[in-house]
Amino acid sequence: MTAQPNVFTMDATQIDIVPIEGELNVGPQHPGSGHLRIYVKLNGDIIEKAELDVGYVHRSVEKLAEVRNYMHLIPLVERPAILDSIHMNLGYILALEKIMGVDVPDRAQYLRSLAAEINRIASHLYGTGILAVFLGHSTGFMWGFGDREVWVEVLQALTGARVTNSYIIPGGVRRDLTPTIKEMIEKAIRYQRKRIPEWKRIFLNNPNIRARLENVGVMSKEQAIAWGAVGPNLRGSGVYYDVRKFEPYAAYDRLDFEIPVYKEGDAYARVHVRFNEIEESMKIIEQIIKEIPQGNILSDRFFKQIPPTRLKKHYETHGKIVFPGYYASFRPPKGEAISRVEAARGELVYYLNSDGSPKPYRLRMVTPSYRTIYVFEQLAKGARYADLVAIYGSLDYFPPEADR
Amino acid sequence: MMDILQDIKYVIFYPSFFVMIIFPGLIAGGLFVLFAIWFERKIAARVQMRVGPYYVSRFGGIAQLLADAIRVALQEIIIPAGVNPTLYVIAPIFPLLFAFLPLAFLPIGVIPEQGSVFSAYYHSFFDPGVNMGVIAALPTEYSLIAVLAVEAAYPIFIILQAWATNNRFALVGAVREAYLSVAYDVLILMSVIATAVEYHTLDVAKVVQSGIPGIVANPLAAFVFFVGLIMATSRFPFEIVEAESELVTGPATEYSGLLFLLAMGGSYFGTYVYALYFAAVFLGGWYPLSGFPGAVILFLKAAVIVLFSVFLRSVYGRYRIDQALRNSWRLLLPVALASIVLGIVGGWLWIR
Amino acid sequence: MSAQPEAKPPQVPQQQAQQAQQKQESSLSRKLNEMKTRLNVPVNVKVESERRATIEVDKSNLLAVAMALRSIGFDHVKTVTAIDYPETETFEVLYHVSSYTDFELAKTIVTLRTKVSYKDPTLPSLHPVWESAWTGERETYEMFGIRFEGHPDLRRLFLDEDFEGVYPMRKSYKVKTEGLFVDRPA
Repeated sequence: MTAQPNVFTMDATQIDIVPIEGELNVGPQHPGSGHLRIYVKLNGDIIEKAELDVGYVHRSVEKLAEVRNYMHLIPLVERPAILDSIHMNLGYILALEKIMGVDVPDRAQYLRSLAAEINRIASHLYGTGILAVFLGHSTGFMWGFGDREVWVEVLQALTGARVTNSYIIPGGVRRDLTPTIKEMIEKAIRYQRKRIPEWKRIFLNNPNIRARLENVGVMSKEQAIAWGAVGPNLRGSGVYYDVRKFEPYAAYDRLDFEIPVYKEGDAYARVHVRFNEIEESMKIIEQIIKEIPQGNILSDRFFKQIPPTRLKKHYETHGKIVFPGYYASFRPPKGEAISRVEAARGELVYYLNSDGSPKPYRLRMVTPSYRTIYVFEQLAKGARYADLVAIYGSLDYFPPEADR
Repeated sequence: MMDILQDIKYVIFYPSFFVMIIFPGLIAGGLFVLFAIWFERKIAARVQMRVGPYYVSRFGGIAQLLADAIRVALQEIIIPAGVNPTLYVIAPIFPLLFAFLPLAFLPIGVIPEQGSVFSAYYHSFFDPGVNMGVIAALPTEYSLIAVLAVEAAYPIFIILQAWATNNRFALVGAVREAYLSVAYDVLILMSVIATAVEYHTLDVAKVVQSGIPGIVANPLAAFVFFVGLIMATSRFPFEIVEAESELVTGPATEYSGLLFLLAMGGSYFGTYVYALYFAAVFLGGWYPLSGFPGAVILFLKAAVIVLFSVFLRSVYGRYRIDQALRNSWRLLLPVALASIVLGIVGGWLWIR
Repeated sequence: MSAQPEAKPPQVPQQQAQQAQQKQESSLSRKLNEMKTRLNVPVNVKVESERRATIEVDKSNLLAVAMALRSIGFDHVKTVTAIDYPETETFEVLYHVSSYTDFELAKTIVTLRTKVSYKDPTLPSLHPVWESAWTGERETYEMFGIRFEGHPDLRRLFLDEDFEGVYPMRKSYKVKTEGLFVDRPA
């Protein structure tokens, strides 16, 4: 006869669970699903299997890329993740620039980093907000979206659009940084610095939120590597990997910043990684504002090629880059390129194959959320049903980004 | 002429009618619930750097909830295929009813022999325990237990409602309610037993008339009861049954229109009635006033409790069901036991 | 046409390029060549730069090469990409692999390329080697109709039910454009 388990010391998972099986269709019309259907197979309160039925917001970016010119693709590739459009845009442009062999002036490189970091903060705040509302914490939701608004406003001042910025173009960026925007950014940083302790008080250190996130959706380092996790999820599991460090693009090789890594691998660690990244991003932005070199924001090559009336004069009077219409059908040389950037949710990979025509022969876009699909399915196994949303939110899985 | 007016006055102020229908029952309660929801939205907006209801009416959009209620009530009622229509329609009425019915046993004030509008009913609503009349729909000496006995039926009808809608999310919600109800009922009952032992009575009026608020006499019981109240009425952080991001709206998932209003109204009414009970037993109730002013005092105390419990939404998320159960059995049950011990000691040494 | 900017190779200073060359010799290329000699199967290793390399391999040796790559530290697949070449009636399948654990290899992306014909569009799945190929192989299956044998869950992923039997990423599937804007003829 086995000894009776001590009710007061045993964990909830040790209790015998009477098998009551059933399926739940979480989504696509469900407040906690977003644009996907999660087919959940339950045994009691424990998820035996969660299957992600993705594709409800599939835009077929890759197929459309075959019939769009390179320039026309810029707005298209950033649609899948409008919260993170700078990164989507940047990765594509990096691949394109590799094929074209364009060199980008320093100032434009810094501006790319600046826009990317602002976008990263905005995206992390959005992700935290979504996680909060999944846990029923409406204040975190509203604060996340409210604070994000500050950064979106900055982005709007810089790029001219709130979300689908199309800011980065081959050879540089579209608009320059002005003193007014600098002031705005400094103000935004001051505001966000003031807000982070408040965030910690109501959200991160809230006993209720800690109970929901700690030891939930634990992903070990080995699992994270095997499943190909990316971004904050990977770093929350103790893997030191950030494209900004390993393959610096834009101005990241000249900037001083750290990569937060947590060993725990649970949902709480992932949230912490995001919050630390917000702080690091603000450091980066401060450095950029201080150190940004003077100069053009577009490659000299384009200035030489395009008649001054069309580009140079417009740039000098308005401070904006406007390409002439015939640029829409330029032809890069034959070749292929792989680019990767560290988007807010993780590593974003573009593979671009050009056959010399104005349209790409093949564009492959692998977004961080796409790579999170498998991680999500694996993590949900064995979790409690209520943890499904906690895992979902902590992975910062964004369906349109995964579907592309 | 005066006779007719006298008769009308007699009928209106007849406690059984007055308590259930006018104050603090249906009419006052309904308006207060709307106010509480408005307050919930407004205070959450304040915490969350928003404005909240704004446009309807001049004063902070206070009529917004009335407008919302009318709109929802006039929406089309959709009866899903594959349910028993009769059961489906009547099911949401029961939880509301059983959230509301316990009010019948709850005294909301005492009647002095003279000088109050209720003095005419002094003899018919006489309570020998306090040697005064009590304003209650059904005066009984066992009101402390009677209220809980009726309230305990509430979760059964939530389960019935979920069963009648034939929806899986509703069923999961119902199972959660079943688990949770065992936990919170035990807590509430134990804290009430502690109080009963301490005051040597099962009569709410006698507890109040003793002049010592329960929260002073037995703070542990008051705490345990308050947590139980929040759990029982699905307020944050124990809003587990209706958990929106997990279960859509739990047992009310399939309902629309007026039926949805009824299905969701139950928990707010439940909060209100529990709060009245809590105010009477633990916060000193109407003491030292009597008659109608006493009832207003009781109402205001209950209002504070309700408003506080809805305010918790802007502070907390929701616990998982297993965490809520573990907390209530592992942490709060010992406290409840301690409160009984404290009740015995207090009843033996202090309150006679 | 004058509108097309001509492409120049990236202007890297001579010195820098040499350094890159040396470094390349020291890490990525050395490792890949070692692997090649150990493997004993015909593979075509091409190191393009310090950070990029391509390995072309016949599909019969794909699994062996993948195993070898994993054993030298490439621990995850970044993308699984297929490209359709209707002229030769072949698909090219690309696995972009890299490493999280090895900091030197993490700087690189190695492309593992193989070809399959229209007639027999099957490949051994690399899921047993790299679990992270799961999503990519599923998507490639549904978009191109390339079967990955040994994949545990080879079903369609993104598309609707009515896409059964049609492989939209093949070049034979034409996108109907609505002609909202007119491109100038190139």
